[in-house]
Amino acid sequence: MNQAEVSKLVSKLRIKVPPKHRKLPNPKGPEGRLDKLRKTVTGLIKYERIELNYNRADEARQYAERLISEAIRHGDCHKPTMDTANFWLLEKELVHKLFKVLVPRFENSSVAYTKLYNAPKPQYARVLDKAVLELKGNPYPELGNKQTNNKYFIQNILLDAAKHEYRQAKYAEVANKIGQAGNETSPVNTENAEKLNEKPMSS
Amino acid sequence: MIPRITYICSQLVKNIERNLFHMFGHPPKELALAYVHEHKPVSSPQKFSLKDIIGDGMLWAVPKFRRTNERKLKRKFGSPEYVLKILLPKNNIKVCQDCGHHHEKGRLCEHCYTKVKKETQEIQDKIQEKLGLNPIENDVVVLYEGEKLPDEPKEFWNGKRIVEMKKERPQWFSKNLLQKTTQQPSDSTDVKPTDLA
Repeated sequence: MNQAEVSKLVSKLRIKVPPKHRKLPNPKGPEGRLDKLRKTVTGLIKYERIELNYNRADEARQYAERLISEAIRHGDCHKPTMDTANFWLLEKELVHKLFKVLVPRFENSSVAYTKLYNAPKPQYARVLDKAVLELKGNPYPELGNKQTNNKYFIQNILLDAAKHEYRQAKYAEVANKIGQAGNETSPVNTENAEKLNEKPMSS
Repeated sequence: MIPRITYICSQLVKNIERNLFHMFGHPPKELALAYVHEHKPVSSPQKFSLKDIIGDGMLWAVPKFRRTNERKLKRKFGSPEYVLKILLPKNNIKVCQDCGHHHEKGRLCEHCYTKVKKETQEIQDKIQEKLGLNPIENDVVVLYEGEKLPDEPKEFWNGKRIVEMKKERPQWFSKNLLQKTTQQPSDSTDVKPTDLA
């Protein structure tokens, strides 16, 4: 087989890439679509966290991931990569940021470089879905829920076990009490029953 | 449905008949059946006229066909395939783990997000203000008022740009929630009054 390995030619993204691109309807056609996406990618690299329509965010995310991945793979001495960066970043000071800030930040990362959240939606309004797109490792306050997956923290597991044990002990105690009470009352009942039985016999 | 179809069919037949008569003329009178009516009605029937019914009023358009039950229900309640007009319970509402407000499943909590968004905007503005149009070569570290740089080796700070916010760090934006980063232990000896109300 004289075929080159595809995975070495094209960078594999760590996000889900749909089989078909979105057209993002525009009076200028495909060029207008690319202009839109370039603006979005530039904004993302510049501000590191932006809020926009979901479709555009998801589409721009793929290009941003690809751009960062190429920059990490080839570095800044590779002409095609530099051209790509020049095409996608409208503000040229961001080319410096891509190679000097983002490449060191994501060099050793094994997950995607960006994150996409669904923004809250007003309840009774017919509006487009919004999304929040951000670069990982940004200096802003966290967006995601901080306390979601703490069920399996060792402290919580130990606390749960302790609670369970305490409850079991309590149940046992209560059961014992009921048992004792039953033993005390049962002879009285039998005596009464005997008396009742005797009465009709005597009469 | 059936009344409509029969109506359309009868109209069609009538149209064809009329057109045929128009094109070829009416059939000759010889073809008509000879028929003699023996008992003639005594009283002459009155001519029907709309004026007797309406008088001075006027005639509106009225429904031609009966609305079936299915159609009635669909108009009233909508259909699940298109738009349902009745109110349905939402089963995708969750309680936020951080603030306790409700939010849709799979979306950010609105209460938390507005808070974070405001803070993010402030930091972004500050960064842009400090940065200007120079090439961006350093990563940003955000410090709030009264904060010192964390203990890190000198190489760590080589490629960093420090942006200072002129306010205290918000309480919820802290990496270590057990320790307050900005507040010093108070020395005040005031005691809260107890016997009020």
